[in-house]
Amino acid sequence: MRIGIDVGGTHTDAVVIANGDVIASTKVLTSANVRDGVVAALDAVMAECDISGDDIEAVMIGTTQFTNAVVERRSLHETAIIRVALPSGEMVPPMCDWPDDIADALGRHVYMIHGGRTYDGFPIAPLDEDEIDRVIDDLAAKDIGLVAIAAVFSPSDPAQEHYVAKRLAERLPAARVTLSHSIGRMGLLERENAALLNASLLPLADRVVASFGDALAARDIRCPFYLSQNDGTLMSKEFAAEFPALTFASGPTNSLRGASLLTDLADAIVVDIGGTTSDVGVLAGGFPRQSNVAIEVGGVRTNFRMPDILAIGLGGGSLVRDDGESIGPQSVGYRLVEEGLVFGGNTLTATDIAVGSGAADIGSVAKVADLDGELVRTATNTMHRMVDNAIDRMKSSREPVPVVLVGGGAVLMSQPLRTASVVHRPEHAGVANAIGAANAQIGAESERIVSYRQEPREQVLAAMQAALKDKLVAEGAAPDSLRLADVEETAISYLAEASTRVRVKMVGDLDFDGAGK
Amino acid sequence: MTVTIGHEDIAALCTGSVFLATGGGGDPYVSRILVEQALKAYGPVTLTRLKDVPDDAHVVAIGEVGAPTISLEQLPIGTECLESVDRYEEWTGKRITHLVSFEVGGANSVIPLIAAAAKKIALIDGDGMARALPEAQMMTFAIEGVRPSPAVAVDYAGGAVYFDTATTELYERQVRNVAMAMGGMIFTAEHPMRGDVAKRAIVPGTISFALELGRVIEANRGSADAIEAPLAELFAGSGYGVLKKLYTGKIVDIERRVVGGFDVGEAVLESVGNAAPPMKLTIKNEFLVAKVGDRVVASVPDLVTMVDHETSQPINSERIHYGQRVTVFGIGCPAHFRTDKALAVVGPRAFGFDFDYQSIEKL
Repeated sequence: MRIGIDVGGTHTDAVVIANGDVIASTKVLTSANVRDGVVAALDAVMAECDISGDDIEAVMIGTTQFTNAVVERRSLHETAIIRVALPSGEMVPPMCDWPDDIADALGRHVYMIHGGRTYDGFPIAPLDEDEIDRVIDDLAAKDIGLVAIAAVFSPSDPAQEHYVAKRLAERLPAARVTLSHSIGRMGLLERENAALLNASLLPLADRVVASFGDALAARDIRCPFYLSQNDGTLMSKEFAAEFPALTFASGPTNSLRGASLLTDLADAIVVDIGGTTSDVGVLAGGFPRQSNVAIEVGGVRTNFRMPDILAIGLGGGSLVRDDGESIGPQSVGYRLVEEGLVFGGNTLTATDIAVGSGAADIGSVAKVADLDGELVRTATNTMHRMVDNAIDRMKSSREPVPVVLVGGGAVLMSQPLRTASVVHRPEHAGVANAIGAANAQIGAESERIVSYRQEPREQVLAAMQAALKDKLVAEGAAPDSLRLADVEETAISYLAEASTRVRVKMVGDLDFDGAGK
Repeated sequence: MTVTIGHEDIAALCTGSVFLATGGGGDPYVSRILVEQALKAYGPVTLTRLKDVPDDAHVVAIGEVGAPTISLEQLPIGTECLESVDRYEEWTGKRITHLVSFEVGGANSVIPLIAAAAKKIALIDGDGMARALPEAQMMTFAIEGVRPSPAVAVDYAGGAVYFDTATTELYERQVRNVAMAMGGMIFTAEHPMRGDVAKRAIVPGTISFALELGRVIEANRGSADAIEAPLAELFAGSGYGVLKKLYTGKIVDIERRVVGGFDVGEAVLESVGNAAPPMKLTIKNEFLVAKVGDRVVASVPDLVTMVDHETSQPINSERIHYGQRVTVFGIGCPAHFRTDKALAVVGPRAFGFDFDYQSIEKL
């Protein structure tokens, strides 16, 4: 059996999964040191189904610790960036578009050196050994131990990033390095941003990953544990300690994956209704559909693959006004339990409407018995229309689609949805994140810009897949479970020589043979 | 009215220029950072009105040529446009008195500001397209018979290629190949012209118009229904034709492929509640033709532009995806593109369609 844990900012959830079924689940408060909350959650679920550490084959953990650190500018460390690109990009230096507070937190240690390659592999400038030495001298003098390295077109050819890292390691063996090609896609500014944020989180990653290990050891759980990443796949604890930034979107991703598993649906719309907002996401082939736009994390542009989420201002605490014609986006949020009518407060909320219509039994039904019937009907229609419109925007075909409702506010939806072929309200929807984490697969992707006239398409795809297979097996995937999840080809406009951006993703199941029990 | 552009105006200018790019032009993000820095360092630029350009002025067009997608990875140095001005003057032995932008749609609306600010050379309020279009011979300079050369293309390595080419059609082929050889993006100084020629070969007022347009869009953040009236009023007082709201609907299909180095495809929109037949938009980098059912409602060289229905932000064609609720506007092109000579180069038949241009005012 496996354990899935979701360590959020407020709650730590855990579930135990045996043969695909949830046999125990819990929700406890997250502790400041992370470890104690995880231990408390483990104690609760292990007691519920009466198992010991030896029964557990794997533990999967999703966490928002690293996203929160960036957003709140805490636990970030001074970090240098070496950009290998000169003369290109001279006037657009690293961090030039960052918010001041986070640029200050990282110390603005910016180095630009000659190098990089053009889209077709030609050197922009030769690497300059003296220049590299001067950068390393300066890093040594300033005692900076965290370094991001980004070279132009490194996703196509990472050799220069590796070379600069090797030179750095010779002189400063203790330095921790993030190479941009290993974490980001095409788009130099966004990729070096991702590498910088990642490098600055490395000390926190060490601590968090160690506290997970401590918590498991405290309950004699000796199997491997994994962290879930942005695209719904898992990474080993060693990989997570190197790439904490890859967890930035794991929260919504796990919620979508959990919804898929709870319903056995591979293609569906998932509506996660919370206290203030509803997050609408799309499951395609069992995984979240990814967004195409540059995504900011704490005000810094990145090009991480993140789920395409549409957030609308409808939740259990949303304010109801205009005789029910208008709902949200203002919300009483976590104060719902004081301010909502059914809890004895004075504010008419979406939850009060759901109770008043008989759709939900929360708090005191008597407190909303006098609500005007027309108001309740109008507000109920408004809520359903809001969700219908959001689903309509997100779904990928004209036909109605299966819809999965999760989250505490799912009770707001009591009527049929026009856009839904069927509405699912799975049991355990409150711990969907932990369930998603527990069932994540392992995956890897790579990206190149190629000219199919110079290199045949089959050859390109075969080489990319072979490299990904090796990578996945090295990370613990069962070789016979590997499958091609996605091939995305984007033509690059304006160039007569047909250049194509190819992105290949492969996924596989974790190999449990010999792992743990 | 003379207009001065400072670093704090660039965000609005970029928004306006994406609107006028009619789906093409690429993401102006890196250019925006460069121009904002240059204007902070050198101070604001006061645009010169086209009618104030002396007849004997030496006017040169500058901007970038190539693949915007690639330049997001290999960034420009940031000084290429200055270098193109220097190299042009060295090679020809002539002093540039006035600069002008190729096209107001996309990044080339802002790049000439770097050279104007740093070199203290006058920048004309106007451009060669009044929108974005895919090829050099579609610029009003070429249509008015201005020779493309002497021209200079500067690359990321600090090198330059000099052109002595008779026609813009040939120049387009040459410059496109140089761009490909030099990392996918180059910066050129080209289409030199005397002030008296410039007065008929340049579309006047388009840079200040793009800024004003961007300000209107920013000030009216919200539904495209609410922005229609202010936009219509703005275009009515400009050198463009009328603005019409062509359609509001949802993207139900988007298909793109590459033909001859261009993004070619079609987007299909369905109206809310199926009140009207579907709209089809034909794309070649830019939106070229809009049809409702089988009826053409707007075509090149008139502008077809798409905005997000909820925020009124203009949308590049590469950002279209299923389910977006959008509003499509059509705008009459300036008089420069309405002559037979111009329509032979920028009309529907020049793009392979089998119908003649009909102005949006008549459709």
